Order: sequence, then structure tokens, then C-alpha cells
Amino acid sequence: MCVGLSAKVVRIADGMAMVDASGAKREISVQLLNDVEPGDYVMVHAGIAIAKITDEDEHETDELMEGLLA
Amino acid sequence: MSEAKGKTAAQVLADYDGPHLRIMEVCGTHTHEIFRLGIRKLLPPQVDLISGPGCPVCVTQVGFIDEALWLADQGVTITTFGDLVRVPGTTRSLASARAEGARVQVVYSPLDALDYAKAHPEEQVCFLSVGFETTVPASCLAVDQALAQGVDNFSLLVANKTMPNAYAALKDSADVFLYPGHVHAITGTGLCEDLVEQGVSGVLAGFTAKELLTALAVAVTKAQEGKPFFVNAYPRVVKPEGTPAAVELIERVMEPCDTEWRGLGVIPQSGLRLREAYAAHDARKKFDMPHIEGKANPACRCGEVLQGHCKPSDCPLFGKVCTPQSPVGACMVSGEGACSAYYQYGGDLL
Amino acid sequence: MTEVSGKVTLAMGAGGKQTAKLIDEVFAARFASPLLTADDAAVLEPPRGRMAMSTDGFIVSPSFFPGGNIGKLSICGTVNDLACMGARPLYLTCGFVIEEGYPLDKLAQIAQAMADTAASCGVTLVAGDTKVAGKGQVDGVFITTTGVGEIVEGAAPAGAKARPGDAIIVTGDVGRHGCTILLARDDFGIEADVTSDCAPLWDSVKAMLDVTDDIHVIRDATRGGVGTVLYEIASQSGVGVRLDAASVPVDPAVHGVCSMLGLEPLYLACEGRLVVIAPKEQAPALVEALRACPNSGGAAIIGEVTDDRPGWVVMRTEIGAETLLPQPGGELLPRIC
Repeated sequence: MCVGLSAKVVRIADGMAMVDASGAKREISVQLLNDVEPGDYVMVHAGIAIAKITDEDEHETDELMEGLLA
Repeated sequence: MSEAKGKTAAQVLADYDGPHLRIMEVCGTHTHEIFRLGIRKLLPPQVDLISGPGCPVCVTQVGFIDEALWLADQGVTITTFGDLVRVPGTTRSLASARAEGARVQVVYSPLDALDYAKAHPEEQVCFLSVGFETTVPASCLAVDQALAQGVDNFSLLVANKTMPNAYAALKDSADVFLYPGHVHAITGTGLCEDLVEQGVSGVLAGFTAKELLTALAVAVTKAQEGKPFFVNAYPRVVKPEGTPAAVELIERVMEPCDTEWRGLGVIPQSGLRLREAYAAHDARKKFDMPHIEGKANPACRCGEVLQGHCKPSDCPLFGKVCTPQSPVGACMVSGEGACSAYYQYGGDLL
Repeated sequence: MTEVSGKVTLAMGAGGKQTAKLIDEVFAARFASPLLTADDAAVLEPPRGRMAMSTDGFIVSPSFFPGGNIGKLSICGTVNDLACMGARPLYLTCGFVIEEGYPLDKLAQIAQAMADTAASCGVTLVAGDTKVAGKGQVDGVFITTTGVGEIVEGAAPAGAKARPGDAIIVTGDVGRHGCTILLARDDFGIEADVTSDCAPLWDSVKAMLDVTDDIHVIRDATRGGVGTVLYEIASQSGVGVRLDAASVPVDPAVHGVCSMLGLEPLYLACEGRLVVIAPKEQAPALVEALRACPNSGGAAIIGEVTDDRPGWVVMRTEIGAETLLPQPGGELLPRIC
């Protein structure tokens, strides 16, 4: 339902940010998120950042599996 | 469970030998990724994955496409996500209207549609606003800016939907929901926690291979414990509080209404419409649109597919008169629909 | 060479003095060769062995894009079609339909790209035709090229010749041309450092034929990309195709653009990539030979031909499961919501 793309914030001005997903760059709105800074990763959907990303999936899923099977 | 230590998610799934379990992936992007990656092949036979109603294109009522075509016939420029272009209305699609000369512009974002309207003040520009909580904020931002900046030639044709009442309507169709990660990135996890109180179990899942396998492993493991549960298996994106500014924006711009889900019927208070303050940008009001009711093919079994009562290949139309190239039913119209994914990735062939 | 300026007019297509001036200053000045005369047809020595002949029309919007323009494309397309039959390209003809008002300096750049590309692969432009259409009747410039080539003795690749057990090779990363054009149209506000793969591939084919003439299929993956070509071969040969998703070379930026728009790189157009099917034991030497050529340095084995599920292309995915590669579905539409 919602194709999301993890992308790195390159620069920000006036609620708009340039993001980079492995070399593909595009201007998106970051109006809905607080304290996003260049270097942060955000989840992008339909031209807006819907969430800040706080970790890598590898790391997080490993922790979940450890917790589940402990 | 200590013997399970060190197992990968795929091994946990392959080794599952518990009772029959129905897991419904609510989200169309989950459906698409699960098929694309071949995850179903790794599951034991007693785990059934049901592709739920979370593809907004699929559950959009036939009449909505007819409404868009009506606007196009009035000379309105239609801006839309690519997903909707080939979806059939009662007799035509946007693609066929474009071939006959209608202006249909595919955009990446509703904000791009607004930019198009600003750049073409001589045209009336309407964005087809479909999608769930994830997509609604982008539409709201666009229409809110249009109002604030006086972009009078921009409007929305709204068919947005929300998930809470859909979960309630479908709760008997599955033992565990795989919750849509990006919807809850907006709305947070409160609803999922509340559903546990009502006996509804679920795991919130991300979209990579590892995230999906992990979420499914969590689902089968927790289900064996015998009590309702909720696990957020996508915490790197979904925070308990979601994205409050997005929720506030939606509430300010739109209000709930009853709406029809193609294949499922009317689900009360599961739709959205623009609030009165945005009437000048509401295409139905602005262009004085008549009531338009579409007609779906009665032989289509999409409703049963969406509830897991039958497989796509059980439908008499599947793969014969109903294919991704010429779709008949809701679940075939979008690449993320259950029937389309099943057909395209060889669900009955491999 | 004379600098040209101004715009193409209908008079330049009327066959008089102005037509002659257009042809002399824009085309003849760049395509000059003893074989190209002012007479009604080129007079040529026939090829030594069997002959291949092909024709192709080119329309691309925009007509200039990173990595090339419609002129380069029009040479590469026909040269590559000939090369896919094991034919060394000898002669090309070209027909232009030009929109009234088209800038002459742009037209000269297109002609120059054609001349340079033809020279780089040893093919001679021997005849041409120019028509001017009224404003709005065509989009800029349309070009049709027809080519004649000489088939290397022993080479007989064909779409129906894939056999179970054969290896499948692609001569470089996939989807770059389609991605470049998509970005150049600027419909989606996305920027990326991607250039078209548009290139003539006779050198690469020649290098393979120097290794062995036991090559079953050579196809250039143009419209519809590598995915479409694989489905065509599977159908023509009555075989199955198994791809290893992880082995398919994709430029990171192309991958990024595709992720943004929900597109599959295997279905984006290429203009300088071949799909080669050959006996497995020949494959490593073929890949080595391809990698030594300038336009196929990224060659890789991406899968194999099977006797399972004839007519279908199966993907081995990143988690080791098998699914179908979805069949080609016409116009590529971004998937967002």
C-alpha cells in the first residue's frame, strides 16, 4: 500500500529536504518531522518524509530474534 | 524454547510444527514483497498467508475511476499516481481516456501535482487522492498549501481510507495480522495495543526480506503461547507515538465518512473526505459532480480472496478473462493486489 | 566544417536549392565518403559471404540525453541488430523526418554523432534522405536507419537456439538507457548521475566470435529491457530461464531510482547491452573476452537455460527462493501507493 524508501538527508531548507537514495536524489517535504538534520535517514513516501529512521534493519531484526528465542 | 537459540528467522518458520495458522498481511506492499522474494515458498503448509485489503488501488470503488473520467471529460487535467492509470472504471480506464486526448499526468507526489497546477494556471488540475494513512498526509499538505497560497485551479478527488475499522471488519479472517509498517509510522502503535485487549494479535512488519521473515517468525512463535499479543518488529521506523504532526494535519484537513471498499462493501467511518473549509478544492463540490455509481463484474470473487476464503486461482475469472493486462476484479488491478501478485509471480505455477 | 545556424524550414524539404544546402552543410559534410554520392543510389561491392540486413526507426524524447543523442542511437541500434546475427556492419542508409523549426545546430550535432559512431565501428553511411514535416507533425527529429552486414563464417546465432544447460550472459549493467530517459524527461523531480548505455557492440560480438562460433543466441536488449528479451527467447526456444537475482548487474543509482518509483530494472530499456546464450563451458571465456572490450566491461553470467517450465523466466531471489519474473506488462508506470 505504501512503497517507502529509506533515504539520507543531504540538506534542508524551509521544510524541504534534498534526500539521496544510493545516488537517486529528490526534493521532499520534511515538514511533518521534528529535528531532522543532514545526515539523518528518513522513510520517504509520495514525496514526504513520514518517519525518521533510527537503526539499520540488520541490527534490529537480529535483536528481535535473540529476544524471541532466548 | 532454548533449543531454538541461534536459529535464523527462516529456520524458525521452516521448523514450525504447531497448529494451522492464518496470517493476514494487510498491506499491499507486503503482499508484493512477499511474492517478489518468494517468502511463501519457505513457509510450512500449515501456515497460510492471506493477502488482505491493503492495496488502496484495489479497494478503491469502481465509481471513483468513473468520477475521474467524468472530470477528464470536462477538460480537467488529471494528476495521479501511476498505480491508477490502467485501473478499469465501468467502461474505460484513464489510459484509454488519455489515448482519446484527455490530459492525464503521472506524478510522484501530490506536491508535484500542486506544482503542476501553479505552472499551468490556465488548466484546472485535479489530483486523485487515494491511499491509506501513509499517503493521506501528502495529499493534505498539497491541498493545505493550495488553500494558503490561493492556488485556485488545484483540487482533490478524495477516496482515502483508514485502517482501524477494516481491522475490526476482518478480525475473524486471520489469527495474526501482519500490520502495515508505514501506516503505523504515521498513526503509532496505540491501536495495535488496543486490539490486543479485544483478542486480536498482530506483528508490525517492515519491508526488507529480513524484516518480513523476522516478523513472520515472531508471529508463529508468539502464536504458540496461546494469548493475544502485539509486537512491533519495525521499531527503527515505527515509534509508539507515530508522527503526531501528520495525524494532526489529517484531522485538520479531512474528516471520517462511511465508504465502500471494492470487494468488501461499505465499512462505516473507514473513509476520509475534505472538511468544509477546503470545499473550494474538493473536486466533487467544485465541479458540481453528479452522483456516479460504478458497476463491478458480479462473477469476481475478490471479496472472498481479500478475506482468505478462497485463493485467487479458485476464482473462475482468474488468469482467463482477468489478467494484469486486462483486469476485471479489484485484486488484479494493481501490481500490489493479491490476484495480480499471485498471477505475476507464479503463485499457482511454481 | 561550416558552422550552421538558424532553423529548418519547409523550403529545405522542397527539393530545391535550399534542400541541397541543408544536405551539403549538415549531412554530406559529416558523412563524406567515396561511396556517398549525389546520385540516386549507392553502388556497392557485395559482401563476401552471407549478408544480414536490418532496419529500425528511432524516436526518442528528449532527443539529447546524457550519454548520447538520437543520432548516436540510430547508428547503434542498427549496427547492434546486425551484430546480433554475427554480421560485421558494412553499410548504412539513413532517412530523416525533421520538424519545421528544428534548430540547425542541433541537427548538425546529431549528424556529427552519427558520423563519429559509424566511424568507431567501421560502418559507412552510403545513402540518405531528408524530409521536413510541418510544425507539430513530428516531435523534433525522427530517424530511420537501414544496415547491411557480412556474416562471419560459422556464426549462426538465433532466438530459437537456446538449449537447457546453456549459460546466460549480459554484457553490462541493465536499465541505464531507460533510466536516463526517464530522468531526462524530468516528470518525477528525481536527479541521478546516470548516463545512457547507448553504444555500438560489433567489437564485443567480434571478440566473442574470436573465442568460439558456438554461440546459440545473441540479442540486444532495447525496448522492454533484458526481461522482455529473456521471455522472447524462452518462448522462441521452448525452454525455461532461471535467473539469479543477485548476479544481475545494476548501477546503484539506477537501483535507487527504481526503488523510488517501484520499477524493475530488468524491464528498463538498454541501448548497448546484449543478452548472450552459449554452452556453459564456453561462458567463462566469453565473459573474459567481453570484459576486455570497451562497451562490455561489465559482462556477467546471470543465469542458465533449463528444461523446467518452458516459456517462463524464474528468478532465484535474495533469500534463495524461486519466483517468476513478472511478464512484461507494457508501459512502465511508477508504483507509489
